[in-house]
Amino acid sequence: MDLVQQQIWGWNIATYLFFGGLGGATLALGILAELRFNLNKWFGILVSLLGLAILSFGLIWLVIDLINPLRFLLAFWIAGLGHSWIARGMVVIMGSYIFGILYAIAAYYGSTTFKKWMGYIAMFCGFGVTTYTGLLLNANVAIPFWHTPALPLLFTVSALSTGCALLMLILAAMKSHEAEHYFHFVEGFDILLISLELLIIFAYLDFARLGNAAVMKSAHLLLNNPLFTIGFLVLGLITPLILEAFASVKHSAKGLAGVASVLVLIGGFLLRYLITWAGVFQYPHGIAS
Amino acid sequence: MARYGMVMNVHACLGCRACMAACSQWNQTPFWAEDFKGKWRTRVTEIEEGKFPEVKRYFFPTICMHCENPPCASVCPTEATYINKDGIVLIDYDLCLGCGYCIEACPYDARYEYELEDLKKDEFYFGEDARHHQAHVDKCTFCVDRLEEGLEPSCAATCVGHARIFGDLDDPNSEVAKLVNTGKAKPLGPYMGTKPKVYYIK
Repeated sequence: MDLVQQQIWGWNIATYLFFGGLGGATLALGILAELRFNLNKWFGILVSLLGLAILSFGLIWLVIDLINPLRFLLAFWIAGLGHSWIARGMVVIMGSYIFGILYAIAAYYGSTTFKKWMGYIAMFCGFGVTTYTGLLLNANVAIPFWHTPALPLLFTVSALSTGCALLMLILAAMKSHEAEHYFHFVEGFDILLISLELLIIFAYLDFARLGNAAVMKSAHLLLNNPLFTIGFLVLGLITPLILEAFASVKHSAKGLAGVASVLVLIGGFLLRYLITWAGVFQYPHGIAS
Repeated sequence: MARYGMVMNVHACLGCRACMAACSQWNQTPFWAEDFKGKWRTRVTEIEEGKFPEVKRYFFPTICMHCENPPCASVCPTEATYINKDGIVLIDYDLCLGCGYCIEACPYDARYEYELEDLKKDEFYFGEDARHHQAHVDKCTFCVDRLEEGLEPSCAATCVGHARIFGDLDDPNSEVAKLVNTGKAKPLGPYMGTKPKVYYIK
């Protein structure tokens, strides 16, 4: 038997992948709200700082997963920038912190041009964090289920969707006209993202159905796990899509969108955990250790 | 400058596992792990194929393939994993972050975690001669320290059946180069594009 489910990365990494993606997306969407949707400066500052706090919480799990967590400072030694997605990830994470904080400072002092520049660069870095989490897994040639361009796409779309969900929860509690306007934009954007996510998942599983033995085993593991079929697909994807679509037609149904947001967040976490869990090695020597 | 490689003659492997013992003693790898946990730089696995009465049983030695295009090095964030002038894939323990990315990326299952508790055991068994001083990811080095002294890697030097043949692939007169150039020995999983320098006669 040469098919072996990977054991190196588990809950810790999945938790990081989720909170990293959520933090990056929250940062980007928070700044977008202030720069393009006329929400006040405090919304921009607090939501971007919330995004960075979520990212920091995720990073704790990444450090815990190191063989020796005390050696985490080596992560700043990014000599492998030209080829390693951990090193590249460190750059976008650092960029998110530096430009996110500079944006918040500029927004506080009302420096319009500087704020705009810092804001757009921070948004780019936040978006980079959402994308790199998928590319990180994608670089593992030994695990064919991860080594497909569908994975970074799926993680990016899912991370943005979880960011939208969190923003909807915050915006639902606000009363202003601008908040209402942005709420409906985020709601519509999330409907598009969940639809895209469903399409990618469908293509991914169809690819796995016709793929090699390791890919087929990964898909088999997922499709036979109720956490994936019921937890993620039904409750974390299809149900919030229906709820949000219904809420978007009925303009006063913010509670419904709130429930959908919580489901999207749970679904996003389950997706990270299950994709990590379902990674299967296919060793060419045919030996499972 | 050489281009070191190894040929594994599966037909000649007796399954005595002297190579595993020699390697673990020389390199102080975690032979103390209670259930062995796969923490070996080299392994010999017993494989049984077929159904009675048509059954075949043989021993299959595995090791780091010292790829020319190693996925482990390409994912390493700190460049702790590098290829030395003789084509040997090595790890700079001082730079190893311990993220495990290379373990996930290696398609040959050649790497493992040398954890904090292994360091304690290393010091317990080897005292002042302990060679591992920080937690890191570990793998075969082709016994690079022995090569510098003109010795063969410990696994090849101790192999009873001459199943492990070590040498310079760039030297056309070496046994490894002849076996590889004649096509008798073939790499594992060449379709992955890793260009391994360990070849097999099966």
